[in-house]
Amino acid sequence: MKRYIIVWLGLLVIVALEVAVTLSHPPAGWLLAGLLVLALIEAGLALLYFMHLKYERRSLMWSVILAVMIAVILMDHFWLDAFRLLHQRLSAP
Amino acid sequence: MAEVTAVHEPSPFGITSRKLGIWMFIVADAATFAAMLFAYGYMRVANPDWTRPFAFWPTIANGIVMTVVLLTSSLTIIAAVLAAQTGRKTTALRWLGATMLLGTLFAALHLREWIAMLGDGWRLFRNPLGGTPLVGATFFSVTGLHLLHVVAGVIVIAVIALGYRRGRFEPGHLETVGLYWHFVDLVWMFVFPLIYLMNMR
Repeated sequence: MKRYIIVWLGLLVIVALEVAVTLSHPPAGWLLAGLLVLALIEAGLALLYFMHLKYERRSLMWSVILAVMIAVILMDHFWLDAFRLLHQRLSAP
Repeated sequence: MAEVTAVHEPSPFGITSRKLGIWMFIVADAATFAAMLFAYGYMRVANPDWTRPFAFWPTIANGIVMTVVLLTSSLTIIAAVLAAQTGRKTTALRWLGATMLLGTLFAALHLREWIAMLGDGWRLFRNPLGGTPLVGATFFSVTGLHLLHVVAGVIVIAVIALGYRRGRFEPGHLETVGLYWHFVDLVWMFVFPLIYLMNMR
C-alpha cells in the first residue's frame, strides 16, 4: 500500500504544478505544452502503478499503449484544417 | 468411443478474459475521449473569438477539489482490491463504500458547478460572455460524458460490492471494476488541464 500512497502523493504534486504553471500566465502555446507534458506523466504513473501495467506482460502493455497512440496520431490530421480556418478568418475583411 | 478433450490456448497476455475485456473497453473509450478532446482543440484553434470563462475562484478551486477527490478514490479502490486479495472481506467492502462516497462527492461537486454555470446563462449552444457558443458546447459535452462515466462507475461498484458480499463475485471482479475506475480518473487527468486550466482568465 505504501507504494500506492507515494504514487498518489506524486499525482497530487503534479496537479499542484499544473495549477502553478497556469497561474504564472505563460503564453497559450507554452501553457498547453507544459500541461500536456504534466498530464502525460500523471497518466503514465496511473497506468503503470494504479492500473498495474508495470506488472503485466509487456505484450499487454504495448498492445494497449500502441492502440491508443495510433488512434491519437491519426487524429492529428485535423490540425491542418483548424489552422486553415483560423488564418482564413484572420485575413477576412 | 473416442474421448474428446478441449484444448485451451494460453492467453498471450497472461490475463483472464474478464481483464482482457475491460482493457479492450478502456482502449476503445480512450479513443472516444481523445476524439472529443481533439474536437475541442480543433474548435478552439479555429475560433479566434474563443472566450476563457473560468476564474480561479470558484471554478478552478472547485476543479482542484474534484481532482483530489477523484485521485483519492483511486487509492481507496486499490485498498479494496488489496484487502479482497488477502481475504479481508469486511475491510474490502468498507473501502468500496469509501470509493462510492468519493465518486458521489465528485458528481455532486460537478453538478453544483454545472448548476452555477446554467444560472449564469451558459447553455450547450449559448455563451453569455458573447464569444463563440462552442465554449459551452465543448465544456458540457466533454465534462458530461466524463460525469456519465463517474455515475456509471459508482453504480457498477455498488453492484459488484453487493455481489461480493453475497459471495457471488470474487476479488478478480473488484480488480476489473478498479481498472475501469482508474481509467475514469486517468481521463480527468486530461480534462482538468485542457478544459479547465486552459480556459482560466
